Amino acid sequence: MIYAGCDLGTISAKAVLIEDGRILAAEVLPYKSLPRQAAGEVFSMALASAGVDKEQVAHCLATGFGKKAVRFAHGDAAELVCLHRAVRALNPAARTVIDAGGQSIRAFNIDSEGRLTASTANEKCAAGTGKFMEVMAQALEMPIDELSRAALDSTHPLSITSQCGVFAESEVITHVNEGRDRLDIFAGISLSVAGKVAGLTRRVNLNREVVLVGGVAKNACVVRDLERALKVELVKPDLDPQALSAYGAALLARDRDPASEA
Amino acid sequence: MIVAGCDVGSLTAEAVILDDGRILAAEIIRVRPRAEQSAREVMDLALARTGLSYDDLTYTVSTGYGRETIPFADHNISEISCHGRGAHFLAPSVRTVIDIGGQDCKAIRVDASGFLEDFVMNDKCAAGTGRSLELMSQYLGVDFSELADLAAQAERTITITSQCSIFSELEIMHYLMEDERPADIAAGICEAMARRVKMLVGRVGVRKDLAISGGVCKNRGVVACLEEMLGATFVPFDQDPQIVGALGAALFAAERAKRSARKTRVATAAAGKGGGS
Repeated sequence: MIYAGCDLGTISAKAVLIEDGRILAAEVLPYKSLPRQAAGEVFSMALASAGVDKEQVAHCLATGFGKKAVRFAHGDAAELVCLHRAVRALNPAARTVIDAGGQSIRAFNIDSEGRLTASTANEKCAAGTGKFMEVMAQALEMPIDELSRAALDSTHPLSITSQCGVFAESEVITHVNEGRDRLDIFAGISLSVAGKVAGLTRRVNLNREVVLVGGVAKNACVVRDLERALKVELVKPDLDPQALSAYGAALLARDRDPASEA
Repeated sequence: MIVAGCDVGSLTAEAVILDDGRILAAEIIRVRPRAEQSAREVMDLALARTGLSYDDLTYTVSTGYGRETIPFADHNISEISCHGRGAHFLAPSVRTVIDIGGQDCKAIRVDASGFLEDFVMNDKCAAGTGRSLELMSQYLGVDFSELADLAAQAERTITITSQCSIFSELEIMHYLMEDERPADIAAGICEAMARRVKMLVGRVGVRKDLAISGGVCKNRGVVACLEEMLGATFVPFDQDPQIVGALGAALFAAERAKRSARKTRVATAAAGKGGGS
């Protein structure tokens, strides 16, 4: 039996297909169109890469900020529930999970029985989010993945004093106008993001093993700075770190399907 | 006696020249990269308007974000005090002044003599500042100056739920993609701005009469929403509301000039007496 999960986040859509616990396809599509169109597109991408037809999918669950807009889903589930389900399947030893996404940052604990025990999330402010970094990369006029690789070598990170993304952007522009090295500026941004994520993570218990997911996990510079800030090694799951919630939704689709033999 | 006040903010700089409580000139410019450059330029403009030179200024007070780096200022005073003083001069019945600048938002309470009683300020988050309004207009694809006119054509108000200016970009983009009318979104932007300012004002406590200063108060959409939320009408100024800070600085300059003149007189008199005995 094939199951699907579709996650409509705030800046990208993700779809995962599974069969007998095996991942057939995991696709991530940053929004270029309406989220509800992107949901259809990313789902088609996953079907194509797995080589299966829509009709073969027994059950599909939607999650994320735009879950109600996934028209082909049979139901939906809360993002935290999906993420928790996915981490339990991929990293049973995880006791702390940090999810650093485009608009949301969250951290939660899982006990030895696999139960979710504490969770916290950012609410109103873009500080420390993927969107925050995207705005800064735009101000630096360089692709974010290039910046994050190159900034690893910066020896003089510039301090970014504003928490607010709008004010930090002005700070970045001032630094650029003063002729500062872009990599040193980005290294400073990375420290600011890591500091914000670490601060939020400390609101729950930092129990090993600590798993990092979400788009920010793809940013090598932030990952290093976050490891230094928390003084802990961060484990990355064996799946695209942006596709975890969609994977969890697919697993829940299987759990909830009455016809499932698994 | 001729004195001046110079207010260098994050987006604009203003200069006011006063002659015994009478406004001789008031100028506003968009800021230059460096505060001293902005100050010099706006003061040059004001002086040119009056045909005076720097030597004619008995005393100059600077204020605003760049106030500490103004070379021609004799003294600098916080913009909180200056806004309170300036507003009191223009409308003596005012007890609460809301100032929405480019990079901050303040609610200032003054007593019957225009002295500062209490204030609340937000300069950590862009929400509720001119910069945020400018950004949201930009996301909507209109100039900041056109936002109020657009909002006036609204049939309904689309609520912007994001508090963060960065998050509101996505929200506005989604509304546009869902074919919502730009005018209705513009009304939502004005409403969101007013909501944020109202929260701040609530923390200092509203005491009537109220007045509003700073660049954003030229946006009728935001002002109308704010008046409705606060259940009060702002006392109008007969001067450009962006010059209130610079005017307050000039009023402080006049006071300080008088005080130092008196001190000099007392000192001269004392010296004269000493010499006679």
